[in-house]
Amino acid sequence: MKQRTLALCRAAPYGSALAREGLEAVLASAAMEQEIDLLFLGDGVFQLLDHQSPMAIGQKSLRRNLMALPMFGIEQLYVARGSLAQRGLTPEEIQIPGAEITLVDQPGNLIAAYQCVLSF
Amino acid sequence: MTLHIVSKSPFSTQALSDCLESFADGDALLLIEDGVYALQHKALQDLQNTEIFCLAADSEARGLLPSAISCSVEAIDDARWVHLCTEHNPIVSWFR
Amino acid sequence: MSNLKVNAQEIPLDKEGYLRDLNDWSRDVAEQLAAAEGIELTDAHWEIIGLLQDFYRQFELSPAMRPLVKFIGQNLGADKGRSIYLMQLFPPSPAKVASKIAGLPKPTNCL
Repeated sequence: MKQRTLALCRAAPYGSALAREGLEAVLASAAMEQEIDLLFLGDGVFQLLDHQSPMAIGQKSLRRNLMALPMFGIEQLYVARGSLAQRGLTPEEIQIPGAEITLVDQPGNLIAAYQCVLSF
Repeated sequence: MTLHIVSKSPFSTQALSDCLESFADGDALLLIEDGVYALQHKALQDLQNTEIFCLAADSEARGLLPSAISCSVEAIDDARWVHLCTEHNPIVSWFR
Repeated sequence: MSNLKVNAQEIPLDKEGYLRDLNDWSRDVAEQLAAAEGIELTDAHWEIIGLLQDFYRQFELSPAMRPLVKFIGQNLGADKGRSIYLMQLFPPSPAKVASKIAGLPKPTNCL
């Protein structure tokens, strides 16, 4: 049986290195043909927010990197509906071209389907 | 069934609330390190029919007694922790 | 850290021979970097180098092999979007070698 991994993305993009480190782990896994999915939860949903321009704080755009996910074969992204609503965001504000965003009402049921969960 | 491990205080982080948002029926909760302060949090009392564990060394170190809490929390040792990990899959760490 | 000397200009490289600063890149720089890899650049190479730089501008990262193949395929068609084609142009490790010649950082997700 092929092992499926879920990356749980809970960190906002620039306040710590966690979001970027997590994405790099995901990209490395995908580049190695591993099956990996992403679930954005809590402040992690801010990673997807459109119109990020972090040049003035000396960082590269995490959203630009996320937009590369379809190139790595990751075309489905999971987002906790409750986290999005709690932060006043709409699905239109977090679209990634080439990827389908699936809003999840019960993150626990999604998590249960994986053999391995990495938290970032 | 998933084993959720929470290691930060619910009074200073989102660890416990994010965890509970991602809780499925039959999942188990283990509190370690500052996560044991969840014993003082009302969110825990609202958890019905859920297996809740805390690491005895961590709760005792902080002067918290699981027996004093109204809901049923079982204090466990390291060996039991390892055993829990073998019984559950996946294991999710809530460390912030 | 070493330097590459191009047209009497010193261009800083990192310890693995990648450009420190993409702004230092020019066709002359690319030719010297390619020569160091034993590659003589043809139109087929330039086409890939241009697309690699597009990829970097779009996604702000250097692609590993899998995304590189997909991106080339989307832009140049299935004939060129194959690892064997890239392997022939940029041996022995196309993602690393082509990124280096295109002036991009080493692909971080390329082990």
